[in-house]
Amino acid sequence: MTTAAPANVELRIPRRPEYVRVARMAACALAAQLDFTFDLVKDIELAVGEACTNAVEHVAKEACSEVLLRFSVLEDRLTIEVIDHGQGFDAQRVLNGDAEEGEGGLGLQVIRAVMDELDVQCGQGVGTCVRMVKYRARS
Amino acid sequence: MTTPLTIDAKDLGDGVGVIELEGEVDVANTPQVREAALRLISGGVKNLVTDLSRVEYMDSSGLGMLVGLLKRLKESDGRLLVAAAQPRVKRLFEITGLEKVLPLYDDASAALKEVGR
Repeated sequence: MTTAAPANVELRIPRRPEYVRVARMAACALAAQLDFTFDLVKDIELAVGEACTNAVEHVAKEACSEVLLRFSVLEDRLTIEVIDHGQGFDAQRVLNGDAEEGEGGLGLQVIRAVMDELDVQCGQGVGTCVRMVKYRARS
Repeated sequence: MTTPLTIDAKDLGDGVGVIELEGEVDVANTPQVREAALRLISGGVKNLVTDLSRVEYMDSSGLGMLVGLLKRLKESDGRLLVAAAQPRVKRLFEITGLEKVLPLYDDASAALKEVGR
Protein backbone atom coordinates (compact mmCIF):
# COMPACT_ATOMS: atom_id res chain seq x y z
CA MET A 1 0.00 0.00 0.00
CA THR A 2 1.35 3.41 -0.89
CA THR A 3 0.70 6.50 1.11
CA ALA A 4 0.25 9.68 -0.89
CA ALA A 5 2.40 12.64 0.08
CA PRO A 6 0.46 15.43 1.71
CA ALA A 7 -0.89 18.13 -0.58
CA ASN A 8 -0.06 21.49 0.92
CA VAL A 9 -1.91 24.75 0.46
CA GLU A 10 -0.58 27.97 1.96
CA LEU A 11 -2.25 31.33 2.35
CA ARG A 12 -0.87 34.55 3.82
CA ILE A 13 -3.30 37.20 4.95
CA PRO A 14 -2.65 40.68 6.29
CA ARG A 15 -3.07 40.60 10.07
CA ARG A 16 -6.23 42.71 9.88
CA PRO A 17 -9.83 41.87 10.91
CA GLU A 18 -11.31 42.24 7.43
CA TYR A 19 -9.05 39.46 6.09
CA VAL A 20 -10.20 36.85 8.60
CA ARG A 21 -13.20 36.18 6.36
CA VAL A 22 -10.87 35.55 3.42
CA ALA A 23 -9.15 32.83 5.45
CA ARG A 24 -12.53 31.37 6.43
CA MET A 25 -13.67 31.27 2.80
CA ALA A 26 -10.47 29.53 1.73
CA ALA A 27 -10.89 26.93 4.48
CA CYS A 28 -14.50 26.34 3.39
CA ALA A 29 -13.53 25.88 -0.24
CA LEU A 30 -10.77 23.41 0.58
CA ALA A 31 -12.83 21.43 3.08
CA ALA A 32 -15.75 21.17 0.62
CA GLN A 33 -13.32 19.96 -2.04
CA LEU A 34 -12.31 17.15 0.32
CA ASP A 35 -15.89 15.92 0.66
CA PHE A 36 -16.35 16.87 4.29
CA THR A 37 -20.05 17.12 5.10
CA PHE A 38 -21.62 20.58 5.19
CA ASP A 39 -21.61 20.59 9.00
CA LEU A 40 -17.93 19.66 9.14
CA VAL A 41 -17.07 22.30 6.53
CA LYS A 42 -18.77 24.89 8.76
CA ASP A 43 -16.87 23.56 11.81
CA ILE A 44 -13.58 23.94 9.94
CA GLU A 45 -14.57 27.45 8.86
CA LEU A 46 -15.35 28.36 12.46
CA ALA A 47 -12.07 26.93 13.77
CA VAL A 48 -10.01 28.79 11.16
CA GLY A 49 -11.93 31.99 11.91
CA GLU A 50 -11.24 31.62 15.63
CA ALA A 51 -7.53 30.93 15.16
CA CYS A 52 -7.14 33.92 12.82
CA THR A 53 -9.15 36.13 15.16
CA ASN A 54 -6.76 35.23 17.98
CA ALA A 55 -3.82 36.19 15.78
CA VAL A 56 -5.47 39.47 14.79
CA GLU A 57 -6.76 40.51 18.20
CA HIS A 58 -4.21 39.25 20.68
CA VAL A 59 -0.94 40.14 19.04
CA ALA A 60 0.59 43.57 19.44
CA LYS A 61 0.09 45.56 16.24
CA GLU A 62 3.78 46.19 15.70
CA ALA A 63 4.72 42.55 16.32
CA CYS A 64 3.89 41.15 12.89
CA SER A 65 1.95 42.10 9.79
CA GLU A 66 0.85 38.75 8.41
CA VAL A 67 -0.79 35.51 9.40
CA LEU A 68 0.24 32.33 7.62
CA LEU A 69 -2.23 29.50 7.12
CA ARG A 70 -0.84 26.14 6.12
CA PHE A 71 -3.29 23.42 5.10
CA SER A 72 -1.97 19.85 4.73
CA VAL A 73 -4.26 17.35 3.07
CA LEU A 74 -3.53 13.75 3.96
CA GLU A 75 -5.46 10.61 3.13
CA ASP A 76 -7.12 10.48 6.51
CA ARG A 77 -7.06 14.06 7.74
CA LEU A 78 -6.85 17.76 7.11
CA THR A 79 -4.27 19.54 9.22
CA ILE A 80 -4.38 23.31 9.51
CA GLU A 81 -1.71 25.50 11.05
CA VAL A 82 -2.34 29.18 11.75
CA ILE A 83 0.96 30.90 12.44
CA ASP A 84 1.78 34.42 13.55
CA HIS A 85 5.10 35.85 14.59
CA GLY A 86 3.81 37.91 17.47
CA GLN A 87 4.93 37.87 21.06
CA GLY A 88 3.25 34.53 21.89
CA PHE A 89 1.11 33.87 24.98
CA ASP A 90 0.68 31.37 27.75
CA ALA A 91 -1.29 28.79 25.78
CA GLN A 92 -1.47 26.25 28.58
CA ARG A 93 -3.09 28.79 30.89
CA VAL A 94 -5.67 29.66 28.22
CA LEU A 95 -6.38 25.99 27.42
CA ASN A 96 -6.81 25.30 31.14
CA GLY A 97 -9.50 27.98 31.25
CA ASP A 98 -7.45 30.39 33.36
CA ALA A 99 -7.29 33.15 30.75
CA GLU A 100 -8.14 36.74 31.53
CA GLU A 101 -11.04 38.27 29.63
CA GLY A 102 -10.01 39.19 26.09
CA GLU A 103 -7.10 36.77 26.06
CA GLY A 104 -8.62 34.47 23.43
CA GLY A 105 -9.82 31.74 25.76
CA LEU A 106 -13.27 31.48 24.20
CA GLY A 107 -11.79 31.04 20.73
CA LEU A 108 -9.55 28.15 21.74
CA GLN A 109 -12.46 26.60 23.63
CA VAL A 110 -14.51 26.70 20.43
CA ILE A 111 -11.70 25.23 18.32
CA ARG A 112 -11.21 22.41 20.79
CA ALA A 113 -14.93 21.60 20.62
CA VAL A 114 -15.27 21.54 16.83
CA MET A 115 -11.96 20.01 15.73
CA ASP A 116 -10.59 16.53 16.47
CA GLU A 117 -7.19 17.73 17.69
CA LEU A 118 -5.79 21.06 18.86
CA ASP A 119 -2.25 21.93 19.77
CA VAL A 120 -0.87 25.39 20.46
CA GLN A 121 2.86 26.02 20.29
CA CYS A 122 4.10 29.41 21.31
CA GLY A 123 6.95 31.16 22.95
CA GLN A 124 8.01 34.62 23.93
CA GLY A 125 9.20 36.42 20.83
CA VAL A 126 8.79 33.50 18.42
CA GLY A 127 5.07 33.72 17.84
CA THR A 128 2.24 31.24 17.94
CA CYS A 129 1.26 28.20 15.90
CA VAL A 130 -2.26 26.89 16.36
CA ARG A 131 -2.39 23.42 14.85
CA MET A 132 -5.76 21.79 14.27
CA VAL A 133 -6.73 18.44 12.80
CA LYS A 134 -9.99 17.18 11.33
CA TYR A 135 -10.17 13.54 10.34
CA ARG A 136 -11.79 12.61 7.06
CA ALA A 137 -14.50 9.95 6.97
CA ARG A 138 -13.04 6.53 6.35
CA SER A 139 -14.60 4.67 3.41
CA MET B 1 -13.85 45.18 2.22
CA THR B 2 -15.72 43.93 5.25
CA THR B 3 -17.77 40.99 6.43
CA PRO B 4 -21.34 41.39 5.14
CA LEU B 5 -23.70 42.40 7.93
CA THR B 6 -26.83 44.55 8.09
CA ILE B 7 -27.58 46.16 11.45
CA ASP B 8 -31.05 47.50 12.19
CA ALA B 9 -31.22 49.13 15.63
CA LYS B 10 -34.58 50.37 16.91
CA ASP B 11 -35.62 52.12 20.10
CA LEU B 12 -39.16 50.90 20.82
CA GLY B 13 -39.65 53.26 23.74
CA ASP B 14 -40.18 52.52 27.45
CA GLY B 15 -36.53 51.51 27.76
CA VAL B 16 -36.78 48.65 25.26
CA GLY B 17 -34.66 48.33 22.11
CA VAL B 18 -34.12 45.75 19.39
CA ILE B 19 -31.10 45.09 17.23
CA GLU B 20 -31.75 42.92 14.18
CA LEU B 21 -28.67 41.48 12.54
CA GLU B 22 -28.49 39.90 9.10
CA GLY B 23 -25.38 38.25 7.72
CA GLU B 24 -22.13 37.24 9.42
CA VAL B 25 -20.81 38.50 12.75
CA ASP B 26 -17.05 38.28 13.13
CA VAL B 27 -14.06 40.24 14.36
CA ALA B 28 -14.34 42.69 11.44
CA ASN B 29 -17.78 44.00 12.28
CA THR B 30 -18.39 43.48 16.00
CA PRO B 31 -17.28 47.10 16.66
CA GLN B 32 -20.18 48.37 14.49
CA VAL B 33 -22.71 46.19 16.32
CA ARG B 34 -21.32 47.35 19.67
CA GLU B 35 -21.54 51.00 18.59
CA ALA B 36 -25.15 50.59 17.43
CA ALA B 37 -26.08 48.97 20.74
CA LEU B 38 -24.27 51.58 22.80
CA ARG B 39 -26.13 54.35 20.96
CA LEU B 40 -29.42 52.73 21.99
CA ILE B 41 -28.22 52.34 25.58
CA SER B 42 -27.06 55.96 25.68
CA GLY B 43 -30.53 56.93 24.48
CA GLY B 44 -32.17 55.22 27.44
CA VAL B 45 -32.60 51.59 26.40
CA LYS B 46 -32.26 49.29 29.41
CA ASN B 47 -33.63 46.06 27.97
CA LEU B 48 -32.09 45.13 24.65
CA VAL B 49 -33.27 42.29 22.42
CA THR B 50 -30.73 40.99 19.90
CA ASP B 51 -32.50 39.23 17.04
CA LEU B 52 -30.13 36.67 15.48
CA SER B 53 -32.71 34.95 13.27
CA ARG B 54 -30.84 35.95 10.09
CA VAL B 55 -27.29 35.52 11.37
CA GLU B 56 -25.60 32.79 9.33
CA TYR B 57 -22.25 32.90 11.10
CA MET B 58 -21.02 34.12 14.45
CA ASP B 59 -17.76 33.45 16.26
CA SER B 60 -16.39 34.10 19.72
CA SER B 61 -15.73 37.77 18.96
CA GLY B 62 -19.51 38.14 18.54
CA LEU B 63 -20.05 36.32 21.82
CA GLY B 64 -17.50 38.55 23.54
CA MET B 65 -19.29 41.62 22.21
CA LEU B 66 -22.62 40.34 23.58
CA VAL B 67 -21.08 39.65 26.98
CA GLY B 68 -19.70 43.21 27.02
CA LEU B 69 -23.16 44.59 26.27
CA LEU B 70 -24.68 42.39 28.98
CA LYS B 71 -22.26 43.82 31.54
CA ARG B 72 -23.02 47.35 30.42
CA LEU B 73 -26.79 46.80 30.65
CA LYS B 74 -26.51 45.15 34.05
CA GLU B 75 -24.86 48.30 35.40
CA SER B 76 -28.24 49.99 34.99
CA ASP B 77 -30.27 46.94 36.04
CA GLY B 78 -31.03 46.23 32.41
CA ARG B 79 -31.06 42.99 30.46
CA LEU B 80 -29.74 41.60 27.20
CA LEU B 81 -32.03 39.04 25.61
CA VAL B 82 -30.78 36.95 22.70
CA ALA B 83 -33.49 35.81 20.31
CA ALA B 84 -33.79 33.26 17.51
CA ALA B 85 -30.21 32.02 17.43
CA GLN B 86 -29.91 29.48 14.61
CA PRO B 87 -28.61 25.98 15.48
CA ARG B 88 -24.96 26.65 14.64
CA VAL B 89 -24.95 29.92 16.59
CA LYS B 90 -26.84 28.32 19.46
CA ARG B 91 -24.19 25.59 19.58
CA LEU B 92 -21.57 28.29 20.09
CA PHE B 93 -23.39 29.46 23.22
CA GLU B 94 -23.51 25.86 24.45
CA ILE B 95 -19.82 25.15 23.77
CA THR B 96 -18.76 28.22 25.72
CA GLY B 97 -21.36 27.83 28.46
CA LEU B 98 -22.67 31.32 27.79
CA GLU B 99 -26.26 30.11 27.46
CA LYS B 100 -26.19 30.09 31.29
CA VAL B 101 -25.59 33.84 31.50
CA LEU B 102 -27.26 35.01 28.29
CA PRO B 103 -30.86 33.81 28.10
CA LEU B 104 -31.83 32.52 24.66
CA TYR B 105 -35.37 33.02 23.39
CA ASP B 106 -37.04 31.18 20.51
CA ASP B 107 -37.89 34.40 18.69
CA ALA B 108 -37.92 38.16 19.10
CA SER B 109 -41.60 38.18 20.10
CA ALA B 110 -40.90 35.88 23.05
CA ALA B 111 -37.99 38.06 24.15
CA LEU B 112 -40.04 41.25 23.83
CA LYS B 113 -42.89 39.69 25.79
CA GLU B 114 -40.38 38.94 28.56
CA VAL B 115 -39.70 42.67 28.90
CA GLY B 116 -43.36 43.65 28.78
CA ARG B 117 -43.84 44.46 25.09
